[in-house]
Amino acid sequence: MSSIATTRIQRELKDIKESNNQSIKIELKSDEFNNLRGEIVGPSGTPYQDGMYKLSIKIPETYPFNPPIVSFDTRIWHPNISSVTGAICLDILKDQWAAALTLRTVLLSLQALLSAAEPDDPQDAVVAKQYKDNQKAFVKTARFWAQYYANAPGPRDTDCVEKLRKASEMGFYKDISLQALSTHSWDLENAIQYLTSC
Amino acid sequence: MTDEPGTSNSSQPSSTQFECNICLDTAKDAVISYCGHLFCWPCLHQWLETRPNRQECPVCKAGIGKDKVVPLYGRGSSNNVDPREKLPPRPQAQRPAAENRNMGWNGLNLGDGFQMSFGIGAFPFGFFGSMFNVNDGRPRTPPPDTPQYQDEQVISKVFLFVAIFMMFWLFVS
Repeated sequence: MSSIATTRIQRELKDIKESNNQSIKIELKSDEFNNLRGEIVGPSGTPYQDGMYKLSIKIPETYPFNPPIVSFDTRIWHPNISSVTGAICLDILKDQWAAALTLRTVLLSLQALLSAAEPDDPQDAVVAKQYKDNQKAFVKTARFWAQYYANAPGPRDTDCVEKLRKASEMGFYKDISLQALSTHSWDLENAIQYLTSC
Repeated sequence: MTDEPGTSNSSQPSSTQFECNICLDTAKDAVISYCGHLFCWPCLHQWLETRPNRQECPVCKAGIGKDKVVPLYGRGSSNNVDPREKLPPRPQAQRPAAENRNMGWNGLNLGDGFQMSFGIGAFPFGFFGSMFNVNDGRPRTPPPDTPQYQDEQVISKVFLFVAIFMMFWLFVS
């Protein structure tokens, strides 16, 4: 790894420690500086509130002249993040990257992305369609995913719990059942039909 | 205020004001952009190389370039050599990138783009050929102040002189 990348990552880790921001965390995965683990807290006033989202951060050889490669390890229901792979659609991680941006500003931007989705530039077309056409189902799903995968506190939606139980009682994996139910806006019949057809 | 033991501590954060916005270390061979952002010239140079098509300030995305930064000379800095001269000139300043952009070379351009070229052929046809070579997709003249431009100007003048001489010779004989 180039020395400028290594020294910058060391600097950034030190700065994040000193900044004392409780809602973002970055740590090394190993002794190598090219593989990091990040964590952000879901911003308040959103369905992701108080969820803990783990991120994997890969630092390219050419950092900071090229952006870090960031994806969600914790599953999340958001128009700009793939609900399956965790890939993120965010301009500053692509062509709008600037060398003065840091891992701290990237994580803060991701928090901002959770607060303000861009459904017109989606990463996950299914989620984006639901966000636009059925906002109520979107909020319900995003909240349930936050509780289910990101340990967000609060009582879970009884309708969601019940339908998920029914689907998994039929022998489908919970993750796959949840994905199917979410995709079909919690219409159990359609979700089951989809699950049996594939 | 008198100097107290605490002052060195409180002045610690202010030292970050002189850190390069790219490597986050104290700026070496410092340059400052017109928008006021400080960089090491090697860092900024590499940034400009990485994005040849988007020359933007890494901090505020204002326009930036080799000719849009001011070198900073602190006291006792290395013989006041312009940091921009320490590195080899950026290749894109030399590269005839104009070749990609010549799709719209249109019309009989006898202004800046006038060039006399040398051709062999029967006199009237050759003459017309070189006179009316419009829209033949020749690369546009390179921008002034580059070595290619000066070379082409010299060659153009030589050919013009040869042409005048030939016409004169034909006329006399």
